[in-house]
Amino acid sequence: MVLALEQVGVAFGGFRALTEVSLAIPPGQVTGLIGPNGAGKTTCVNTLSGFQRPGSGRVLLDGADISALPAHRMRRAGIARTFQAGRLFGGLDVLDNLACTGVGLGQRRAEAEHAAQDLLDWMGIAALASRPAAGLPYTDERRVAIARALMGAPRFLLLDEPAAGMSEHEAADLAALIRRIAGERGIGCLLIEHNVGLVLSVCAQVVVLDGGRVIETGDRAAILASRPVREAYFGADQAEAA
Amino acid sequence: MLSQHTIRRRMAASTPLVLALGLLAFVLLATTMGDRATARMATETLIRVTLVAGFWIFVGNSGVVSFGHAAFACVGAYVSAWLTLKPAMKGTLLPGLPDLIAAADWPALPAVLTGGALAALLALVSGAAILRLSGIAASIATFAFLAMVNTIWANWTPVTGGTSSVVGLDRYVTPWVALGWAVAALIAASLYGLSASGLALRATREDEVAASASGIDRYRHRLLAYVLSAFFCGVGGALMGHFIGVINPDAYYLNLTFLMLAMLVVGGIGSLSGAVAGVLALSLAVEGLVRMEKGVTLGATTFALPAGSQEIIIAAAMILVLIFRPAGLLAGREITLPARWVTGRGTTHNGPATDRRET
Repeated sequence: MVLALEQVGVAFGGFRALTEVSLAIPPGQVTGLIGPNGAGKTTCVNTLSGFQRPGSGRVLLDGADISALPAHRMRRAGIARTFQAGRLFGGLDVLDNLACTGVGLGQRRAEAEHAAQDLLDWMGIAALASRPAAGLPYTDERRVAIARALMGAPRFLLLDEPAAGMSEHEAADLAALIRRIAGERGIGCLLIEHNVGLVLSVCAQVVVLDGGRVIETGDRAAILASRPVREAYFGADQAEAA
Repeated sequence: MLSQHTIRRRMAASTPLVLALGLLAFVLLATTMGDRATARMATETLIRVTLVAGFWIFVGNSGVVSFGHAAFACVGAYVSAWLTLKPAMKGTLLPGLPDLIAAADWPALPAVLTGGALAALLALVSGAAILRLSGIAASIATFAFLAMVNTIWANWTPVTGGTSSVVGLDRYVTPWVALGWAVAALIAASLYGLSASGLALRATREDEVAASASGIDRYRHRLLAYVLSAFFCGVGGALMGHFIGVINPDAYYLNLTFLMLAMLVVGGIGSLSGAVAGVLALSLAVEGLVRMEKGVTLGATTFALPAGSQEIIIAAAMILVLIFRPAGLLAGREITLPARWVTGRGTTHNGPATDRRET
C-alpha cells in the first residue's frame, strides 16, 4: 500500500515545475518533503491529490495508475490533503466543515456529523464544534483543516506547510499530532515544511527537491550529510566552507 | 445534554414551520380584512414565494446566480396550458400541437405537476451542459439559455401561439391553492438545505477547491439542486397562468428574471427566510405604490404619485438595500423557533428568535 510519483514531469508553459520526480509515501510513517522556495513542493502535492495532471510520468496507488483521476475521486480513493491557506468553509461551523467531507465521501448527514464529533474528540478540539469556521484563531484553523482531511479514514494525508507561522511550542504540538496520525491511525503522511527541524524530528524518510528535481532521498543522517542539500540551501560557497 | 450543533439543526428544521405560519397569517389577513384587490395581491405574492423558494434551492446553496429560471416557469406554464385547455380551443389557437396533447383535457392539478416535472427534465438536460462551467461562466450560460427558450417560444407559433397570448386557462388558483404550493416549496427547500447534498453544495459555494479535496463532486450536487429548483419554478409558472388565465412568452422573460433576483437579493440570498422576506417586502411595496399611483383620496383632495414612480422608488429602495445591507434584509439568518422550544425540555438556553444560519 504505497502512494508514489513515478518519473513525473509537470510544465507550466515553458517553466518546468517538476522534472522526472519519483518519490514514495509508505503507510504508517511520515515522509518529509523539503526544498527551497519554488522547488516544486506544492506542485508535488497538487499532482498527488489530483489538482494537477502530470505532463509525463504516473501517479501510482498500490501500483495502479491514478494520474487521470479528478481531485474528488482522489479523495475518495483515500488521498487527503490540506492547503497552505487553510481553506476552511468560512460560512459553516466547524462540525459542518468536517461533515462536508463525510457527505463528500458518501455518508448520510447524521453519520457524517457523528464521525465529525468523534474526530474532534480524538483531536481534543471538541469545544470548537459549533464555532463558525471564519474567524478561528490561526492554530485552531490549522487543526480543523487537518481534522477535516482525516474524515473517512484516508490512507494518505498530504500536509502542505501546516506549521507555517506557528511558534516553536505550537509546532511541537503539531509534530506530536502528526506522529499520532501516522502511528495510531496508520496513515501515510507527506509533510511539506520550511521548518527543517520539524521535518527532521518527525520524518522517517525525507525527500529534498530543488529546481523541480529530487536532489536527495534518505533518513535524517543522510540528509544532514548530503552535499547537494547543503548546496541547495546555503549555496555552493557556504557548502564548501562547511 | 444536546450539543449546540444538534440544537441548531433542530432550530433550522423549524424554519419552514415558522414561515408557513407567517404566510398563513398573511393569507388570513388579506382575505378577511382586505378587498378583492388585496386578496389578488396575496395570491400573486404566494405564487412568487413558490417561484423564489424554488429559485433559492439552487442559487442560495450553490452561490451561482442563475438567469435561466424564468425559462423553467415559462415551460411549466405552457405545459400546463397545453394539457388543460379545451381541445376545441387548442384546435384553433395552437394547431401545431401533437394529437395526443391536442386531445388532452386534464384537470389543473396534475397539469401543474406535469409542468413542474417537464421543467425539471429540461433543467436536467440543459444543466448537464451548463453546470460543468464554473461560477460566472455558468451564470452567463443560464442567461443564454433563457434567451434561447424565449426565442423558441416567441417564434414556434403553431405550438406556443408565438408572441400573442394564450387565453382561457382554467383559473383554479385561489389564495389557498397558492398557499399550499408555497408551503410545499418551502418544505422542499428546507429539506434540501438540511440534506447531505445541500451541505455538500454549500461547501462548493464556500470554497470550490477545498470542496473537491473533501471528495465532493460539485457537478452532481449542483445538477440535483438545479433540477429540484426548476421543478418549483415550473410549478410557479403554471400557477401564474392558472391565476391570470392568460400567458405569453414575455411574461416569463427579463421582467420575471429580474423580479425573482431582486426579491432574493433584497431579502438575502443566504437564507430561505431571506428569500421569503424579499418576496413579501417587494410585493407589498409594489402594491402600495401602485395604489398610490392610482390616487389616495383624503377628504376632498386626491393625492396621486405620477405614473412610473413605482418603478423608480422600488429601484431606489433596492439600491439603498444593496448599499446599507448588502447581505439582504435578513443577512443570511433563518427565522426559527427559539432554542428552548426545540430542545424538548427545560434548558438554560436563552434562545434568540433568529439564529445565524448554520450554513
